[in-house]
Amino acid sequence: MTDLLNSPEDMAFRKEIRDFVAAELDPDTRAKVVRGAPLVRDDFMMWHRSLYQKGWAAPGWPKEHGGPGWSARQRLIADEELFRLHTPPLPGFGFKMIGPILMRFGSTAQQQRFLPRILSGEDWWCQGFSETGAGSDLAALRTRAERTKGGWLISGSKTWTTYAQYANWIFCLVRTDPDVKKQEGISMMLVDMSAPGLTRRGIRLMDGTEEVNEIFLDQVFVPDDMVVGEINMGWTYAKALLEHERLGIGGIGRSKHLLERAREMARAAGCEAEPEIADALAEFEIDIMAIEATTLRLMAAAEAGVRIGAETSLLKIRGTETQQGLTELMLDIAGPSALPARDSGATEEPFENVAFQFMNWRKLSIYGGSNEIQRSILASQVLGL
Amino acid sequence: MIRFDIPDDETLLLRDTAERFVADHYGLAQRNVMLEQPPEQVPPHWGEMAELGWLAAAVPEAAGGLGLSAAQLVPMLEVLGRGLVLEPVGPVAMKCAATLARALPDAGAELEPILSGERIALVAEGAPGAPVSAVKTGGALVLSGVAPLVMAGPWAQVFWVVAELDGAPVLMRIPAEAADVTPVRLVDGQVAARVCFDGVRCAQEDVVTGCAEALAYGRDMALVGVLAEMSGLVDALHGATLDYVKLREQFGRAIGRFQVVQHRMSEMFIRREEVHSMARLAAEAMEGDDAAFRGKLVSAARVKIAKDARVVMRDAVQLHGGIGVTDELAVGHMLKRLLVLSQVEGGRASHLKRFRALIGL
Ligand SMILES: Cc1cc2nc3c(=O)[nH]c(=O)nc-3n(C[C@H](O)[C@H](O)[C@H](O)COP(=O)(O)OP(=O)(O)OC[C@H]3O[C@@H](n4cnc5c(N)ncnc54)[C@H](O)[C@@H]3O)c2cc1C
Repeated sequence: MTDLLNSPEDMAFRKEIRDFVAAELDPDTRAKVVRGAPLVRDDFMMWHRSLYQKGWAAPGWPKEHGGPGWSARQRLIADEELFRLHTPPLPGFGFKMIGPILMRFGSTAQQQRFLPRILSGEDWWCQGFSETGAGSDLAALRTRAERTKGGWLISGSKTWTTYAQYANWIFCLVRTDPDVKKQEGISMMLVDMSAPGLTRRGIRLMDGTEEVNEIFLDQVFVPDDMVVGEINMGWTYAKALLEHERLGIGGIGRSKHLLERAREMARAAGCEAEPEIADALAEFEIDIMAIEATTLRLMAAAEAGVRIGAETSLLKIRGTETQQGLTELMLDIAGPSALPARDSGATEEPFENVAFQFMNWRKLSIYGGSNEIQRSILASQVLGL
Repeated sequence: MIRFDIPDDETLLLRDTAERFVADHYGLAQRNVMLEQPPEQVPPHWGEMAELGWLAAAVPEAAGGLGLSAAQLVPMLEVLGRGLVLEPVGPVAMKCAATLARALPDAGAELEPILSGERIALVAEGAPGAPVSAVKTGGALVLSGVAPLVMAGPWAQVFWVVAELDGAPVLMRIPAEAADVTPVRLVDGQVAARVCFDGVRCAQEDVVTGCAEALAYGRDMALVGVLAEMSGLVDALHGATLDYVKLREQFGRAIGRFQVVQHRMSEMFIRREEVHSMARLAAEAMEGDDAAFRGKLVSAARVKIAKDARVVMRDAVQLHGGIGVTDELAVGHMLKRLLVLSQVEGGRASHLKRFRALIGL
């Protein structure tokens, strides 16, 4: 696989990561990640603890909050190596979403209380933005918070909440003023998952997992000190959250991981030399190279002081298309070997999770702003259309 | 000669009966209950399907069937496909019965219990490049090899094993209890089996030789069944997605009002139409005696439909957004069924190869 970041310093940094992973990663977890099997809480937590002890849990965080102090370049390398070495990709709800928001907009008390616990893994956060009626049009959300003594009472529901079953905290967007323009009446609140009035229901997905949930809130009390920043500024914070770490959204590490896996399958199926398959594998490597080159070019511009904004949507679009395309190539390679259900006892490595991955990764082009929405963003914000 | 006649009364009757059957028996909730059954248990409606004539439909009258053409069956199979029916109409009627009717000199006696639904018989084959083989030992033949994925395998009383004997393909009649049958649940909930024939003995009178032509015909016919089901599923996904984008509102209007969504739906419509045409083309190609012509068209249909189905799967889920990846709508179930049908009976790549060979490239 071609790596573009390969200066002597890059290579030394890669080696440091490889040595660490070789020493720390649990072989069972590694095997699960290699096979593309669904991961559960313990898989993530064990690895989280290793990274935490090393001081690498939150690559994007500044040193003062416990980050490793890596440059953007090092973060890309780390992301790539950690994927390549089959470590579990840690969910970003704490590290990449609420953590950075609290650093920017949270109170000192919130920062002191929550940031260390995100870093250590003591708290597991989930994201309560989407609602049944508010997906792409997030600002249409209707879950409301009403003023009460010392705080707010939230009522409504959230949906598609990833890993809520593991979470003890949820950050929610709620409507605090129904009488203004819809973006202007939204606030962000931190809610204890064990608060009275909060219930959860798992949603079964077509791939057989229950990764997402519905959350019902019935007069859930949130004290004033759990409001993020100012009341009715939630939309601004949510936008800032979605803009964080944008250079990493091309998912280069994930793509390389999937490509490597596809190659392994082609070898196992004995079709790696068939022109159609060999060409497809090579073209995917080139596609990934283009995403990486574009990422590096944007990164260099950002380092030179150019403001990088919505352009990064292109990384998400191409990255997710590449990843989904790779799962389809895997189906072609696997043929009927892709068909036994995961729990049928009849699956054969390396084809065990091909159908699962094809189904599971459909979400990549739906969540975090669908690819249609990303294209609209490019059109309006970059192209001025 | 290929004709695209308006469906005749028999065709429409079969289709309408299938529609009623699916409406009565195959609600998503009813189907979910069936999926909970142990894999050894035959789904409950097999007898009814035989009574409705579905198993006998494509078998020539001389062999005890109804003598309908493949094309007459397509609309009915489309309905069964979109209905996510679990009974093995395709593997039994389109594959096994179609093969036997051509391979056996006097097929009627063997087919009678199969067509009446009393006995389930299936064709079992090794993986490409790893055929089941047979050697003569004393007066009998001894088999070795595995059929890795026999659709509906656990329900069979009889396997017709495609084996290599002295370098030529033969069909061997093996009672299911003689083989080692391991049920395999597939991703879409359908049941198949891995069947191992190592050491199984077969008497000389249960071997059918000179059946290469019948096997090729049976494979094409099976594929026509698969493609018809896929056509029904593509149509259903298109319909479900169209309904959804008309209903689902974001940003104050139906998402179907956004031009991007409109173009995607138009594209899906084009694909649906192509799939519809190609499924019928493949069925029409089953008439007549020109095996190369037939093979060319059936493989062409396979290639085109597999390709179109991919895009339809992708876009149907995408345009549904989050709800599209759940188990709660039919969309996910239809996607899984399409996934299975895309990977069996030879995928896109192998039929592209066959097509190229048949057009001399
Ligand atoms: C597996 C998974 C995990 C998720 N995890 C979380 C989570 O943890 N927390 C959370 O808050 N949310 C989560 N989401 C929700 C996700 O962010 C939403 O699904 C997403 O915003 C899309 O909303 P929707 O599902 O309502 O689809 P809709 O908005 O209804 O969109 C349906 C289709 O219409 C298209 N569309 C909509 N508007 C337009 C337009 N203006 N122009 C063109 N096309 C348009 C969309 O692109 C899509 O194809 C998750 C979703 C999934 C699938």
